[in-house]
Amino acid sequence: MNPRIAAILLALLILAAGLALWRLPHTYASQDRDAILAPATASHWTGTDELGRDRSVRVAAALLLGLGGAALAAALTTLLAAAVGLLAAFSPRPIAALLLFLSDGFLSLPWLFLLMMARSLLPLTATPIQTAIATFLVLAALGWPACARAIHRGACSLRTAEWLLHGHACGLKSGQLIRLHLLPHLRPLLLPQFLISIPAFLVAEANLGALGMGVGEPLPSWGAMLLELDNSALLAQSRWVYLPIALLVAVLLLLDCFTTQENPHA
Amino acid sequence: MPVATKPFTAIAGRLARTVLLLLFAAAGTILLVRFAPGFFSDSRELDARYAQATRPEDQPPQSLAQVALAEVHGWLRGDFGQSRQYEIPVAELIGARVKVSAALLLNGILSGWLLALCAALPISALRKGAAVLGLPFTLLLAAPSSALATACIVLNSGGPVLVLSLLVAAREFKFLRSLLEGTWRSPHLLQARAHGLPPLALVRLHILPNIAPQVCALATLSIVTALGALVPIEVIFTVPGVGQLAWSAVMNRDLPVLVAVSLLMASVVAFAGLFSAQNHPLEAA
Repeated sequence: MNPRIAAILLALLILAAGLALWRLPHTYASQDRDAILAPATASHWTGTDELGRDRSVRVAAALLLGLGGAALAAALTTLLAAAVGLLAAFSPRPIAALLLFLSDGFLSLPWLFLLMMARSLLPLTATPIQTAIATFLVLAALGWPACARAIHRGACSLRTAEWLLHGHACGLKSGQLIRLHLLPHLRPLLLPQFLISIPAFLVAEANLGALGMGVGEPLPSWGAMLLELDNSALLAQSRWVYLPIALLVAVLLLLDCFTTQENPHA
Repeated sequence: MPVATKPFTAIAGRLARTVLLLLFAAAGTILLVRFAPGFFSDSRELDARYAQATRPEDQPPQSLAQVALAEVHGWLRGDFGQSRQYEIPVAELIGARVKVSAALLLNGILSGWLLALCAALPISALRKGAAVLGLPFTLLLAAPSSALATACIVLNSGGPVLVLSLLVAAREFKFLRSLLEGTWRSPHLLQARAHGLPPLALVRLHILPNIAPQVCALATLSIVTALGALVPIEVIFTVPGVGQLAWSAVMNRDLPVLVAVSLLMASVVAFAGLFSAQNHPLEAA
C-alpha cells in the first residue's frame, strides 16, 4: 500500500479513537453493572467486557495508549542507539569495543525473554499509569542494541568523509559536527530504525500483556484485551470481542507500509 | 604456520567472546534479580503453618557477591543450585523440560522453513500478483505470537507447533522471497530457462545450491526467532517446556532457575550466531 494512504488511514483511526474517547459518555474504567458482557446496543456500540466496561472506549484508549507509548519508546530507543552508535564510532578502540560488547550482551538473550525478565522485576505495587510508563520504558531501554550496531556501522563509514575533516579543520566543536553534519547524514538510517521500532514495540507490549506483565488494569492495553479471548463465555456472547485483535493487526499492517517504504530490505 | 594458525586464532577469539557474553548474561540476570523488589520474600511465608519453619533455615544470602558465589557454587556442583519454587535441583528441573522445548523448536522451525520455501519458490518467480499471494505471510508477520496462540485455542485447531511454524514461516518468507527474486533474475538462470530446463531441475540444480549458504545462515537465525516466541506459546498452550519454566521463574523470583535458563538461552543464541557468522553473512538477503 502507498505510505500516504496508510498514513491517512492511520490518522483517521487515531482521530476516530480520539473522538470516541471525547464524545462517548463512558470512561475506560467506568462500569455498567447492569450490562455485564452485553452485546452491541445503542449505549454500548461494541458491547461491554466481563466487568461491564464499554468496549469501544477501551479499544480507543488502548489504540491511543499503545501507539503513543510505542512511538515515544521508539523515539527514546533511537536516541539511545544513536548516542551509543556515535560514541562507539568516534571513541578510542577500547571504549568502542566495550560498547559493542555491551550491545552484544543485550542481544545474547531473546528479546521477549529479556523484556519479560526486566518488566517482571519492577515493583509489584505500582499504579496502572506507573506500569504503563515502566512497560514502555523497559521497551525503550532494551530495544537499542541492534539499532546501535547499525548506526555504529553507518557512522564508521562517515568517519573518513571529507566534509567531516573539513568541519574539524574549520574548528567546529564535536557537538556542532554531530548536530549539523553527522545526524543529517545518518537520517536515512535513523528514520527506518524509528519506524521499525514502533510496530515491534506494539507487538512486544501485546505479548507482555498476554503474559500478565504489561500495562496494569484498569488501563486498557492490547495485551490485556487479548486475554479476553481466553474467556469462552465472552466469545459466545459477542463477536465484538475480536475487535481489539483485528484493530491491532490492521494498525501493524499500516505501520508496516511505512517501514517497507523506508527500508525495502527490512 | 601462519596460514593454519589464523583460522584457529579467529575461532578461538570468537569462542572466547561467546564465553564472555554468557558470563555477561549470567551476571546481568543475577544483578537484575538481586535488586528486584521482593527478592528476599518467600511465598511460603504467606502460609502461617510454614512461615516460622521456613524463615530460619532459608535465610537467603544478603550481598550481591554472596548471591553470585552461591550461584557459581551451584554451577561447580553441576546441579545449578536448588530451585526456590520447586525445591529440587535446577539441572533436574531443566533436563526434563529441555527435551520438550527442543522437540517443539525442531518441529516448528522445520515445518516453518518447509512452508516458507514452498511458498517463496513459486511466488518469487511471478512478475505480477506476488504481493497479493504473499499477503497471508504479511498478516501473520503482523500478528503477535500470543494472539496466534490464543486464536488456535479459540478455534480449537492447531497447537504449539503450528503457531511456531507459522511465525517462523512468516519471518523467513520475507527474506527468502527477496533472496529468490534476485536468483530467478540472475543471468545463468535466464540462460538455463532459455535452454528449456524444466522448473524442478532449475530449482534443484541452480536455485537451491545458489542460495544454500544464505539459507544456512538464515536458518540459524530462525532459532533466535523461535526462542523468542517460545515463552508465550508454551505459557498459553501450557506446554511443560523451558519457556513455561522461565515464565514461572520470573513470576516467582526463582533466581537459580532464572540464571540457568538465561545461560541456556544465551548459549543457544550465541552458538547460533557463531554458526551463522561462520557460514555467510546476510548481505545478499
